[in-house]
Amino acid sequence: MSHHFRAIAAIAINTVRDAVRNKVLYILLFFALLLIGTSFLLATLSYVERERILQDVALAAIRLFGAAIAIFIGVGLVHREIDRRTIYTILSKPVSRVDFLVGKYLGLVATLWMQLLVMAMGFVAVSWLTEAPLAAGHAIALAMTGLELAVLVAIATLFSSFATPFLAACYSVGLYVVGHVTRDLRALGALADSEGVTTLTVWLHRILPDLASFNWTIEAVHGLPLPPAEVGWAAVMGVGWCIAFLTVAAIVFDRRDFR
Amino acid sequence: MNTGDVIVQVDGLVKDFRPGFGLRRKRVLHGISFDVHRGEVFGFIGPNGAGKTTTLKVLMGLIRASAGRATILGHDVRETAFRHHVGFLPESPYFYDFLTGREILRFYGKLAGAHDRRDRRVDELLDWVGLSHAAGLRLRNYSKGMLQRIGIAQALIHDPEVVFLDEPMTGLDPVGRKEIRDLILRLHGEGKTIFMNTHILSDVEVICDRVAIIAKGRIVHQGATLDGVVNREQPFDIAVSGLDPELAEALQTELGAVLHGRGERVEVRVREKEVDEVLQRILARGGRVRGVAPVRAALEELFLQAIESGEKTS
Repeated sequence: MSHHFRAIAAIAINTVRDAVRNKVLYILLFFALLLIGTSFLLATLSYVERERILQDVALAAIRLFGAAIAIFIGVGLVHREIDRRTIYTILSKPVSRVDFLVGKYLGLVATLWMQLLVMAMGFVAVSWLTEAPLAAGHAIALAMTGLELAVLVAIATLFSSFATPFLAACYSVGLYVVGHVTRDLRALGALADSEGVTTLTVWLHRILPDLASFNWTIEAVHGLPLPPAEVGWAAVMGVGWCIAFLTVAAIVFDRRDFR
Repeated sequence: MNTGDVIVQVDGLVKDFRPGFGLRRKRVLHGISFDVHRGEVFGFIGPNGAGKTTTLKVLMGLIRASAGRATILGHDVRETAFRHHVGFLPESPYFYDFLTGREILRFYGKLAGAHDRRDRRVDELLDWVGLSHAAGLRLRNYSKGMLQRIGIAQALIHDPEVVFLDEPMTGLDPVGRKEIRDLILRLHGEGKTIFMNTHILSDVEVICDRVAIIAKGRIVHQGATLDGVVNREQPFDIAVSGLDPELAEALQTELGAVLHGRGERVEVRVREKEVDEVLQRILARGGRVRGVAPVRAALEELFLQAIESGEKTS
């Protein structure tokens, strides 16, 4: 294994150790599990499709809290290292700035996927207790949520590489919200009378990440088929967005002065 | 001295910062140049805000220079691979405090590529800096002096050729300062090249072979620690017992010597160029020479003079 990979692995492992000590992360995880658990109560309010409502609410809770954790920890990812000056001793070693950034990113993604696994176990437990059906579609929906979180961390890492945590959080939340509506905006734009509006919404959908493409909750909950081509394309785009955001983050980070 | 002996070379280094979002730039380094040679302890001294840490950060690749060139061991400081040969202790270092002393050294060992016999090296260094007893203690429980010593250990984990220390004594009590000073002298004894940023002049006098003084982003003096304070006109004190009174009077009238002391032992202050002659005359008249020493203007005096002259030229 080359020195670069060893250094990246060391930084990633250390990031996981650092992140799992963050108390806020456990608070968010607790509320996520609480919401997954109370989805059982919400489902009892309905006379029809109780299992589907339960799973719908639980999967939404996983996506929402996963995103909150990704943004909350992601935006402080680089800033905290600069603020605490731990980055000085790391970059004085034969570790490039790109190695550092990639190591931090992978460490946080690993942390989030561990969180996702815990939440998924909560989801399976609630489904099992209420005898709601579980199928491969649920696993695919959860895996795509994991990919969405990886994209979100890449977005947070990009903003974290040049902005304060507060601004980085604002930018990340903004892009998260816009990323979930670009598909709808494009559909609305197609109905507009103005060609300019139509073109604008088409380009917004093209240049911004389509985060809604990672949401397969409805198909999974309703037992609908998940088209492999569409899921596969969303996965490819997800990996592509991660690489794109990290590349821009690396370029920005490489030019920074650590004063 | 051949070029292979130059470990650090800084040539016309300029650094501009842009405060805020405006176009206006503030120049903090004005084309500074200096060399650090193999095996020496080089003191980079100056008042707060002079540009010491900025220079060191440029050398460590933490800040990009606006102009000029800086190399370490012949490599441009923007490269990373050569840092296998470089150790760095930042000012008031902060480490991941959830790790123990042993864990933090293993972490830095991995980053530095010190994979072979890493665990043995960690134990050696913990012993070397006197922290073997605290190896399993989390860093949040370390004192400032202990953190400084673990900082030196992480800088040495990969056995570098050159070590950069930024204000290594700052904030330490006298015991802590002595411990760090002794560690630096031990490193020097092992043949390491040491670059030290500091404003504590008493440490510079004890530790450093050469200094560069920086003021307002300009180098205002560089050379051996005593350069500029010792020259042919500088006085020397000759400690004598049993000085013949006639000779004493002759030295005062002929050479303008100044005599200090009472009773049997006196000190005769003369210019360096007259030392040999005076010694011969004292010995010829039956006097006993107890010591000869240059009268050193304190480094502080040199420092203040250099700063003052730098301010006039800037």
